[in-house]
Amino acid sequence: MSEKPTGTGGFARVARAAIEQIATPVVSVVLAMLIGSAIIAAVGYNPIEAFSALFAGAFGTPRQIGETLMRATPLIFTGLAVAYGFRAGLFNIGAEGQLFMGGLSAAWLGVVLAGLPQPLNIVIMIVVGALAGAAWAFVPAILKARVGAHEVITTMMFGYIARYLVSWLVTGPLKAPGQIPQSVQIAKEASLPRLTDLLPMLGTGRAHLGIVIGVGIAVFLWWVLKYTTLGFEARAVGFNPFASETGGVSVAATTVKSLCISGSLAGLAGVVEVMGVHYRLFDQFSSGFGFTGIAVALLAKNNPIGVVAAAILFGAMSAGAGSMQLNADVPQKVIFIIQALIIFFVAAEQIAKFILRPFEGKKGAENA
Amino acid sequence: MLSDVITPDLFASAIRIATPLALAAIGGTICERSGVVNIALEGMMLFGAFMGVVGATFTGSPWIGLLVAVISGGLLALIHAFASITLRTDQVVSGTAINILAAGLTGFFMEVIFHRPGTTDPVARLRPFFSVDGPSSGPLVEVWRWIDTVFLSYTPIVYFAIIIAVAGQWALFNTRWGLRLRALGEHPRAADTVGISVIRGRYAAVVASGMLGGLAGANLSLEQVGSFTEGMTNGRGFIALAANIFGRWTPAGSYLASLLFGFADALQIKMQVFRDVITIPSQFFLMLPYVLTVIVLAGVVGRAVAPAAIGKPYEKG
Repeated sequence: MSEKPTGTGGFARVARAAIEQIATPVVSVVLAMLIGSAIIAAVGYNPIEAFSALFAGAFGTPRQIGETLMRATPLIFTGLAVAYGFRAGLFNIGAEGQLFMGGLSAAWLGVVLAGLPQPLNIVIMIVVGALAGAAWAFVPAILKARVGAHEVITTMMFGYIARYLVSWLVTGPLKAPGQIPQSVQIAKEASLPRLTDLLPMLGTGRAHLGIVIGVGIAVFLWWVLKYTTLGFEARAVGFNPFASETGGVSVAATTVKSLCISGSLAGLAGVVEVMGVHYRLFDQFSSGFGFTGIAVALLAKNNPIGVVAAAILFGAMSAGAGSMQLNADVPQKVIFIIQALIIFFVAAEQIAKFILRPFEGKKGAENA
Repeated sequence: MLSDVITPDLFASAIRIATPLALAAIGGTICERSGVVNIALEGMMLFGAFMGVVGATFTGSPWIGLLVAVISGGLLALIHAFASITLRTDQVVSGTAINILAAGLTGFFMEVIFHRPGTTDPVARLRPFFSVDGPSSGPLVEVWRWIDTVFLSYTPIVYFAIIIAVAGQWALFNTRWGLRLRALGEHPRAADTVGISVIRGRYAAVVASGMLGGLAGANLSLEQVGSFTEGMTNGRGFIALAANIFGRWTPAGSYLASLLFGFADALQIKMQVFRDVITIPSQFFLMLPYVLTVIVLAGVVGRAVAPAAIGKPYEKG
């Protein structure tokens, strides 16, 4: 680079770097939607109608924007969880299980802590929920560090175990009176307020304070990864474990720490769902947020700020899918196909790079 | 009480439960021996199970359904092969995408074809392969009951899995094909030097694993249940990977490890009969295969050695 780091030159460079960062994800999303449209058209539906219904369902009114934000909230946490793991070279495919444990802790505390002031409740439930998620990741973390058991299998298995554990608790010890297998409703002062309760003019329906907490934690995590020893060690081990060990970073300790931090973030996803959306626990309280979190993290290229944007995109798809099924008759599961395609295109960077090549050429000429 | 648990059908159901795990695990063995990680077995199994039912629904023949299942598993694997071998994508990430894709495709086409989510219409199932009449009275009745149930009561894919395990074990260590496959995963550069095409070999191995995954799915939907339910594989693809590791990346080992899981699961189902005597909630029984998988991995992994070049894309140079 022959450019001098003057004010405007520096800005231009930052801007160009930012565009380079988001070019692949944007192209990937567009490609995935095109293929999704082809599939929708192939089985006899109108893709334009489908996507306009989806868009209207996601952003049409303040209330629907609120729905998008509400659905994005758990995805910010699971996306951060998977992204943090990836940074440390770990694939936390079992975020769903840690999410269940976080939700479990919140459903329990929300009942027993009734009567405490709301702010105190929120702080306690977030801290304990994070610990619950971390605890659920601890055994896979230790097994990875000690005997090298692959975390993809162990965290996945812990996910199933968590699911059955919750299924037992909501039909047994924690069950609310009545026919439905669900836990007792948490106290009002143990819930997260809706944004409209704080600022009625927003009119954002079911969106709750969890999204603000999520964005705050994303920024915090970005800072941790960039400026702290903890974050540096995680990135170093993720980049090259052998060199890190030689350089004095304990790979085993960093692995355990990183997977537990990842687990704690996933646990928070369960906490905000219980505190902000359902106010109780039941079998199906997560619609695969842990797995969608993988797509969110990959689309964001494991950048915590990018995770927020990617989570909002996936939240919008989820919020709009219902209206797509209702108004354009397209089965809403098509969004999973699109999610899978997004992962492919982001992961196989060459495809997006190939499409972006004409633009790269221009930039190359500029630099020369 | 013990005689209520140790019955011929305990062993028979262990073998039945082990079958889809074993087929997928052997698929994992072949794939990983070639140097490609395949965490997408879950999705390939799910897709195979669904397509098998679709095939059987439209043709009325479960045998054609079986064929469709195997081909479908292979096609899904082809995507994994293209992504991880040609595009050199992270293999675990590609596998995850396949798993999500399979869940999406089966859910989407379920509604397109059967106009509802959840479970498909029932289809004709593959029947037990043998039907032999034994003595119905006399001293040998009890002996015959054991022989008939433990050896002769199974559907075709169950026998096929055993044949694959034995033949695969022999072929992996006694044939040119086996030697080449192992070379691909241990030292692809060396294989390339002596003229083995790493790319083509790995493609073949990944597609073969997908076909076995599809067959495992067909066993679930066309033999065990007779219909397809969304998410019916329920983590079996991941348990199969653990069985492959426990079986030290060998076909026979994969089968025997799957049999261990099958036996534990069969025993768990048997024990539920005593729910009134032993008051343990059913969820704890249902957890057992997953707990067992973790224990197996914890106990064995340190000593099991994976193929050296596993997970690394090969670049000709």
